[in-house]
Amino acid sequence: MDSKKLIIGGLAIAIILSIAAPFLASPNPDGLESTAEKIINEHALENNLQQVGLEEEGTLAPSPMPDYTIAGMGKIGEILSLIIGTIIVFALAYGVSFVLKKPSAN
Amino acid sequence: MHIPDGFMPMWESILFWIISLIFISKSVLWAKQNLDEKAIPLFAVLGAGIFAAQALNMPIPWGTSGHLVGAALTSIVFDSPWAGVLMLTLILIVQGLFFADGGILAMGANIFNMGIIGGFVGYYVYKSLKSINSFVAAFAAGWAATFLAAIACAVEMAVAGTFPIEQGLMFMGLYHAVIGILEGIITAVVVEFLKSVKPETLKSESTSLS
Repeated sequence: MDSKKLIIGGLAIAIILSIAAPFLASPNPDGLESTAEKIINEHALENNLQQVGLEEEGTLAPSPMPDYTIAGMGKIGEILSLIIGTIIVFALAYGVSFVLKKPSAN
Repeated sequence: MHIPDGFMPMWESILFWIISLIFISKSVLWAKQNLDEKAIPLFAVLGAGIFAAQALNMPIPWGTSGHLVGAALTSIVFDSPWAGVLMLTLILIVQGLFFADGGILAMGANIFNMGIIGGFVGYYVYKSLKSINSFVAAFAAGWAATFLAAIACAVEMAVAGTFPIEQGLMFMGLYHAVIGILEGIITAVVVEFLKSVKPETLKSESTSLS
């Protein structure tokens, strides 16, 4: 399989997953969130939140599309954010591996 | 199992950033010495696929869900645990900076759990079992990578005081023992698929054949 076919085929699968995920993904909390719901030590959480300066757990990074959503765009926003993320990861992984690749033999 | 900011004290976040940065620089070195120009499209497309697949949370019992991590898969495909470290680092950076999926302070710990533990456990489980059966080996690699990453996460949460150790290990272990089955199936299916369409990309296979 040549690389053009690989890229087109692979990106097609990734885009299909990005479109399907907002409809198919389980809304249930993941393993870590479920565990936290059951057993988290609220006191320790409060201390850590205060230390990092957050009101609730999340991130200090300014995130343009929090939780894979775009404000006011509903499901379309979720799909778009995943497609944008897929393209960013593709470009980043391509760029980084291009820069880091081993020198060619000749 | 993306740890958000607030689940860990500052010192622990910094400690895991330092540990992970050491591994990340080793993974950069790996790429400079081993990542062939021909492998770039596969690396990029695998990253895109893993990112999108991570959004597809699958239900497991107990009102919980889980999704692919992909470090074991990457390490098997590129025949090195460092590939998994580098890949998950890139994916976690994008998830953390754009989507608030995992904290920026906790990112070091997330890279440690999913990239480093996931990559190394996945790679060495596959390597040690592939002579028996490569499908079973890839399944076991995916399962063990997820399970042990979750165990590491539970220990970190216990050190943070966020989870009590026994219950933390029990719930994180139980949930991820099940989520690991999904990781194992996806890892094995994708490895077999890539072997069938592009055998030369699976270095560990081609070297054993040549």
